[in-house]
Amino acid sequence: MNDGPLIVQSDKTLLLEIDHERAADCRKAIAPFAELERSPEHIHTYRLTPLGLWNARAAGHDAEQVVDTLLAYSRYAVPHALLVDVAETMARYGRLRLEKHPTHGLVLSSTDRPVLEEVLRAKKVKGMLGERLDDDSVVVHPSERGNLKQALLKLGWPAEDFAGYVDGEAHAISLVEDGWSLRDYQRDAAESFWHGGSGVVVLPCGAGKTIVGAAAMAHAQATTLILVTNTVSARQWKDELVKRTSLTEDEIGEYSGAVKEIRPVTIATYQVLTLRRKGSYPHLDLLDARDWGLIVYDEVHLLPAPIFRMTADLQARRRIGLTATLVREDGREGDVFSLIGPKRYDAPWKDIESQGWIAPADCVEVRVTLPSSERLVYATAEPEERYRLASCTAEKTRVVRDIVAAHPDQPTLVIGQYIDQLDELAAELDAPVIKGETTVKERQRLFDAFRSGEIGLLVVSKVANFSIDLPSAEVAIQVSGSFGSRQEEAQRLGRLLRPKSDGKSAHFYTIVSRDTVDAEFAQNRQRFLAEQGYAYRILDAEDLPA
Amino acid sequence: MSGRSPLPSGFRSLADQLRSWPDARLSRLLAARPDLASPVPHDSSQLASRAAVRSSLLRALDQLDLLELTVLDALVVLGHTTPERLAEVVNADDVAVAAALARLGDLALVWESPAGLRPLTGVADALGSGPGTSGLQPCSAEPPSAAQVDKRLAELSDPARALLEHVAEHGGEATTGTSRHLVSPADARTPAEELLARRLLVPRGGGVVVLPGEVGLALRGGHTTREAVGTPPALLTSERAGELVDRAAAGTAFEAVRRVELLLDHWSTHPPTALRTGGLGVRDLRATALLLHVDEPTAALVVEVSYAAGLLATAADADGNPAWVPTDAFDLWIATSPAERWATLVRAWLGSSRLPGLVGRRDNAGKTWNALAPELSGTHVVETRRAALEELAALPRDRVLATGTGAPSLVARLAWLRPRRPRTRADLVAWTLEEAAALGVTALGGVPGPARLLLEGRDPAATLTTLMPEPVDHVLLQADLTAVAPGPLESSLARRLSLVADVESRGGATTYRFTPGSVRRALDTGWGAGELHEFLASVSRTPVPQPLTYLVDDTARTFGTIRVGHAEAFLRADDETALAELLHHPRAASLGLRRIAPTVLISDTPIDVLLPRLRDLGAAPVVEAPDGTVRVSRPDLLRARTPKEHRRSAGASAARATATVAAVVTAIRSGDRAADARPTGAAAAPLTPSGSLAALREAVETRSSVLIGYVDNHGTSTERVVDPISVEGGQLTAHDHRSDDVRTFAVHRISVVRPIED
Repeated sequence: MNDGPLIVQSDKTLLLEIDHERAADCRKAIAPFAELERSPEHIHTYRLTPLGLWNARAAGHDAEQVVDTLLAYSRYAVPHALLVDVAETMARYGRLRLEKHPTHGLVLSSTDRPVLEEVLRAKKVKGMLGERLDDDSVVVHPSERGNLKQALLKLGWPAEDFAGYVDGEAHAISLVEDGWSLRDYQRDAAESFWHGGSGVVVLPCGAGKTIVGAAAMAHAQATTLILVTNTVSARQWKDELVKRTSLTEDEIGEYSGAVKEIRPVTIATYQVLTLRRKGSYPHLDLLDARDWGLIVYDEVHLLPAPIFRMTADLQARRRIGLTATLVREDGREGDVFSLIGPKRYDAPWKDIESQGWIAPADCVEVRVTLPSSERLVYATAEPEERYRLASCTAEKTRVVRDIVAAHPDQPTLVIGQYIDQLDELAAELDAPVIKGETTVKERQRLFDAFRSGEIGLLVVSKVANFSIDLPSAEVAIQVSGSFGSRQEEAQRLGRLLRPKSDGKSAHFYTIVSRDTVDAEFAQNRQRFLAEQGYAYRILDAEDLPA
Repeated sequence: MSGRSPLPSGFRSLADQLRSWPDARLSRLLAARPDLASPVPHDSSQLASRAAVRSSLLRALDQLDLLELTVLDALVVLGHTTPERLAEVVNADDVAVAAALARLGDLALVWESPAGLRPLTGVADALGSGPGTSGLQPCSAEPPSAAQVDKRLAELSDPARALLEHVAEHGGEATTGTSRHLVSPADARTPAEELLARRLLVPRGGGVVVLPGEVGLALRGGHTTREAVGTPPALLTSERAGELVDRAAAGTAFEAVRRVELLLDHWSTHPPTALRTGGLGVRDLRATALLLHVDEPTAALVVEVSYAAGLLATAADADGNPAWVPTDAFDLWIATSPAERWATLVRAWLGSSRLPGLVGRRDNAGKTWNALAPELSGTHVVETRRAALEELAALPRDRVLATGTGAPSLVARLAWLRPRRPRTRADLVAWTLEEAAALGVTALGGVPGPARLLLEGRDPAATLTTLMPEPVDHVLLQADLTAVAPGPLESSLARRLSLVADVESRGGATTYRFTPGSVRRALDTGWGAGELHEFLASVSRTPVPQPLTYLVDDTARTFGTIRVGHAEAFLRADDETALAELLHHPRAASLGLRRIAPTVLISDTPIDVLLPRLRDLGAAPVVEAPDGTVRVSRPDLLRARTPKEHRRSAGASAARATATVAAVVTAIRSGDRAADARPTGAAAAPLTPSGSLAALREAVETRSSVLIGYVDNHGTSTERVVDPISVEGGQLTAHDHRSDDVRTFAVHRISVVRPIED
């Protein structure tokens, strides 16, 4: 019997026993073609997907290598059907090629005529293709390059893209490593992106995704468009770039609701790009305002639908997507991969934590029991009201107070969904509150005060979910969330994961009402983190150490 | 028997020869041709006449290989002859021919007459122009010597020779049309006339000419066939380490056993309906394939093998409709070790005439074949399957069937061994190879050790057990509320675990997920929270994660808060708010709940409807028995009775078969003694239908005249002397001496057949 660390299941999942002595080698060997699905404490689950296998092909691995790897590390006999399937799936990649033709521009060509015929007859690609040049090639409308690739992927005949990228307008950018240096995984991530051309880098919150973006820019040496979620985040990007690279303030422009500057490096918000007036997008010209050599998508899991469409037109430019959690509640992960590019780098959160780059976190779920009167109200309420009722119970306020008291000198964030509840909490705890209506200026002030330690307790709404860098936060208390959103949960935990100066672990509390929809949603939200190895302890409110 | 040359005197008839046989040899005949023994024949004459009946002959011929058929055909061509002459004529070495002849003798297809070896009457007819025949006509009664024939051939003109060869290759028969029958070759104007003149073609009447056997032999270099037929074609093989074959097969075998277990476990609670025609619906098959993570042909195989092993049968489901349900034999099967379970399945598969390979295809009428359909079986399946596997098992270890070319070579070899099997053989062999690979009877084209033992009739369990993945007795519990068993779980543990947690992924390992629902299911079947904790702690190698402990406690806490009465369908709970919650639940309106006391609700909905609805609403009700105790509910596992044929052991039926053969031999012997004691002299009246048919066939072959008693259309009985020409389809075609004409007679109207001594 082969004593390997890997168990290959017939449903195409791979189970990796991580306590095994060969586990590390095995992980390295399967990472190029298998998607990491879950990484709890003992056994990591990977999955073989067509997309993953095609990406492996794109990166130069062939089916034989994949099969050999599976056989070499597998503990039991590998199901024969699965090996056949791997070989067949991988053989589908590259039958179609997107190429630059000296006279006709972009063409789709094939070495396998029946495949080309099948594709030409498909409804999905109608209108994307032009004149048939000969038996084996057909003209592609340049604007449809992205859509076509997406459509071909759905048809199961992914095209290999040899058309290359435009270099864009050259602009010197280099990293200035004074007093800090690029971490190994950041360098790996930037390089595997650069070699792949375009793609998505998945790193946990606090692991320095901005730096990966900067490193990518240093590779590109070209004008760059950075798309971010909001204005505060745009300012953070700007500060970080000025600090870490040779770029000066004047070279970096902000393109948002308030300011509209176009500079060699321009940071724009998704909001302003997707602003719609009289049926058209007035700020879309930004995308063509310069000959961008690189486009950076921050928090790519939040990419709004109109941006997908715009991105489809940008296939000739290099694109990098950054995210911590590529789970989209709308299930459009596939679109992200086909439009921005495949996942180029991914590391389990716990791995980065063990290297000391992100802080360990202690996750606790505290369950409160609704008092009888509230339960009665809850029971008779309309279904759509129930979540709010359960989330906003007064019981939670009491528990928040207890927890805040238990961490007296640690900077604490209280995060919630419902403004009424936040206002009430802020009044109760005597702390400032940041919500949607708070001005950008006021937000900046409060965040700065929090960073400097002036304020030790901040109540925030979901505006602080993303991209807000609060390195000093050590305790977060979540009182309510957007129903069952897994990525929100991960992002909120991410606020705490900047390494602490003394190596202390962060504390993440979630307060839920027992036996209500609140508890059910909490379970769904926690699943992602549990699968990343962040196990929740569950406590009853009564058992909280006072 | 090669050493046993025919007695110079020979025997008067086959019956005489049978009488002279020792009991052991007679038993061998009855074992090889079991149809002769039932019903038990009266005496040797009846046995002999029954051996010549066409249907029995066809069965016997079907068992012959190409060499044996060729020898038999040569004997038909030569007529009476000696073993030596036969060995000359058959294109194979003498030892092989002698062995083939011995077997033909044992099967009573050939007997020793005073004039030499003779094929049994009717053999020529039964052979027809089927596989293994040379297509030569019988030799003339007084054949010219070989040298004479050669001389005549040498003198032929080229067109005549070409014509002759054409006739020889196309059945040795032709019509001549207007050709004149001349005496001198010199007068011949056409090749046909030349051949007739040289007596290389002989007129048979009605414008038909035949090519006598001796001429055909001369054309083929003195043999009945041009190609050598002595040895079967070899299999095309390649090299593969035996260990690798064993390991791969053991993995597959384990998987096959697990699939059957999984399927039948599932069908214990969710039986699929049986179609009115008895099969399994296409949709159910698709669901099975999905459940087992296999393609539909493999799913069909799993279903069919379960059925063949007697683990699956139809029974009435809860609503009284016929459904496919595991039998009680399944419970016994599940209690044995995986290796024994595998052996049971494979033995059943080897002995099953079912054709899973047809499932999903369309029959001639365009109807799709359903799995488990009663008519989904074939006559030669068992024999072909076994023959194919035995050929593979006969390969040395480390040799396996070559990929690509191997399967056709196997088909060719089987075609030599059983030439008279139908054309579907190639399909059957292909299915056998596919099915064997799916069951772990073969792997990588080779037969692994355990399967070899099984084919030899020995017990493979001990060998297989050492090869199968070791069962593990623990799981790894993880904080994301999953449990992973890093290998095949011990069966009892797997069952208990699948009660407490839902299976997420299967294969070499199994992933389970704990949910409030799954824990509640365990509580429903009578587990307590304490027991659950103990169970989890005992099966886990790692500490039980806190969220899991909490989940169990939390579910146990809410479990049974609400108790549902049986008699009046009441809902009572000490917790008033729980009732209020239920009462005001928007989806509970249809349940007709009404509050009758602070802690009691009543409902006008029957309990069986009410209970699942309440669970849907998120409550965890418990049914209360009239005496106030809590009733636990567990879905009943359905069982059907094991079909009769599976309740008998193989050993018993073998013993029964042996006993039967012995009894038949005894009966025949006593019949013979009775016949001997009968006063002789009375006209031999072969009046049994098979007797008169045999006599007529014999007359056809020996071209002798017989006296027949015939009852005509008007019921008048006459006696006629006729020269029989052929017996076919219940009609005798014969030359009637009285009318001097060729006439046909209905065989069933012939009352007497008596040979005429010339």
